[in-house]
Amino acid sequence: MTPSSRLLLLPFAAVAVCAPAHAMVYLSVEEAQKLMFGDQALTPLPLSLSPQQVAAVEKDAGVKFFPGSLRAWKGADGYFFVDAVIGKHDLITYAVALGQDGKVRQVEILEYREAYGGDVRNPRWRKQFTGKQHGDPLHLGEDIQGISGATLSCEHVTDGIRRLLSVYDIAIRPR
Amino acid sequence: MNPAMKTPFVRTAIAAVLLSAGGAHADPAGIDAATAQKMEQQIERLSQELEEMKTQLKQLKAQNEALATQQQQQAAQVQQAVAAAPQQGGISPDLSLWGYGEVYYTHPQHDPALSQADLARAVFGIGYHFDDRTVFNSEFEVEHAVSSASDKGEFEVEQFYVDHQLADWAAVKGGLFLMPFGLLNEHHEPTNFYGVQRNFVETLIIPSTWREGGFGFHGDTSIGIGWDVGLTTGLNLGNWNFTPENPLYRTALELEDTNVAPMQATHQELQLADAQHLSQYVSLNYKGVPGLLAGAALFTGNTAVPNTPPGLPDERVTLWETHARWTPGAADLSAVYARGTISDTAAYNIANAGTPNPIPSKFWGYYLQGAYTVWRHNGYRLAPFVRWERYDMGASYDIAAGTAPVPTGLAADGKPWPQPYDRVWTYGANFYLNPHVVLKADYQSFQTNSDFTRFDLGLGLNF
Repeated sequence: MTPSSRLLLLPFAAVAVCAPAHAMVYLSVEEAQKLMFGDQALTPLPLSLSPQQVAAVEKDAGVKFFPGSLRAWKGADGYFFVDAVIGKHDLITYAVALGQDGKVRQVEILEYREAYGGDVRNPRWRKQFTGKQHGDPLHLGEDIQGISGATLSCEHVTDGIRRLLSVYDIAIRPR
Repeated sequence: MNPAMKTPFVRTAIAAVLLSAGGAHADPAGIDAATAQKMEQQIERLSQELEEMKTQLKQLKAQNEALATQQQQQAAQVQQAVAAAPQQGGISPDLSLWGYGEVYYTHPQHDPALSQADLARAVFGIGYHFDDRTVFNSEFEVEHAVSSASDKGEFEVEQFYVDHQLADWAAVKGGLFLMPFGLLNEHHEPTNFYGVQRNFVETLIIPSTWREGGFGFHGDTSIGIGWDVGLTTGLNLGNWNFTPENPLYRTALELEDTNVAPMQATHQELQLADAQHLSQYVSLNYKGVPGLLAGAALFTGNTAVPNTPPGLPDERVTLWETHARWTPGAADLSAVYARGTISDTAAYNIANAGTPNPIPSKFWGYYLQGAYTVWRHNGYRLAPFVRWERYDMGASYDIAAGTAPVPTGLAADGKPWPQPYDRVWTYGANFYLNPHVVLKADYQSFQTNSDFTRFDLGLGLNF
């Protein structure tokens, strides 16, 4: 077979592999809730932060905060959050489960839109956040190791989780 | 407590209070009938008022519950609205724009007259999401600020491909895309590497920015193995310049910029590329442990050769490399080894015998690099680094017996010809204003071509 005719076969091979296709939405919000909280009822938690609170979150987390992308729910034994950050060029949507003690229980990537750099989905990478709470450094290259080739995605998800923990501490944590 | 149970309890308590209050004035046994009647009436009135209060309380509670439900519904509606709203500003949520670029200042220590400043590259990218699984990415680059027939700059399409997700673990891409080799080629933005300019191994041995036209399949497994395999255009040895009048480079900057290296000089960048000869590549990376990356890649294919002299045999170019990077905490350690071969070069070289720039049959290089974040504050980050590298663009030549691959005399400019190999120490630091903007400084010491030793400054950005 000549190289050119091999080239022609590639699109057909692509279509053949296409069968078990799954979108780049890896988990829906409902699937993530079920995965993290089982059958627990989750009630939406209104997040109406005052401008002072938004400023406090930005100062505390050291990153910009545009309230609106962050959504929160309360369950019997913890909190469920969905947030989005820019990866390299596009949005990464992720979910975080916090225990009632405010410690991260689980991080899941719901949606990743870019062709490359999707290594933030790696379970071992996400597991680094388990047990982290507000006040921990949560900086890439300090207490969170990055993944070479996906540095920006790792950095931005780390920043997002640090910001989310600030929001929890400033506006949600029972006092 | 059930509210219905509260009333008798409250009534008894009030009666007890009233009785004890009365007792302060008189002996309970001495209460007259009138007083008792009065007290009874008072108790009756109080209990009526209590009943009224109870009803009001019930109403308030119901109102409160209704309000809470309403609030929750509103919160849910807001969340749905947030989820449904396009989450990205700009022209369209499906369109992405990005860019990167770098400016150099380079000062050769032994010949300051050759100092140069250059807007080395300004690159802008446009991407578009056709749907959740199909994305288009492109990058357009202006090198050296001005591009025209009489200028040194170039305008290039650096990437132009469509990527389609087939499954969680696999995607297919087609078009002009970056080759998955080494640590730098696919991540060549200035914020991603240490030093003002890209390292020599990943410029002269693995060309950068190296892209080919074709198809590839790629994906990531859940245990952290990334894979990429495809069929692309290859090299064209017809592009080789055997007879430069002068050395193609006199400084380290020129060495990197003038496409003198074997694969730099012959890759086609999908510019009316020869497609009769195709090449294959495969790349594997392990990223399963956070902070660790280890991988290898192989590229091989026959090359296009010129028609003159007639009857030249097909020449096969093979390049393989292996790389590792480990970033434990503030440290960042990396290493790359790359080796390439070009087969059957003898006939082509002998047909051009005596020229100052024959085609090598072997080339290789490696580097070891260590960086450490010594300071980090408010988004600023300072990371000094040191790198040791060796490269040899002409490790072996199949040439006519008795001829030298590099002319031994002086070149037309009265200086010896530079050697295609060297050992280089680089010391420097990257200072990040934030993850997207970096200032760089380094000092490079060349052991063989010692005239190249230089001091550099750089500014890089990436968004």
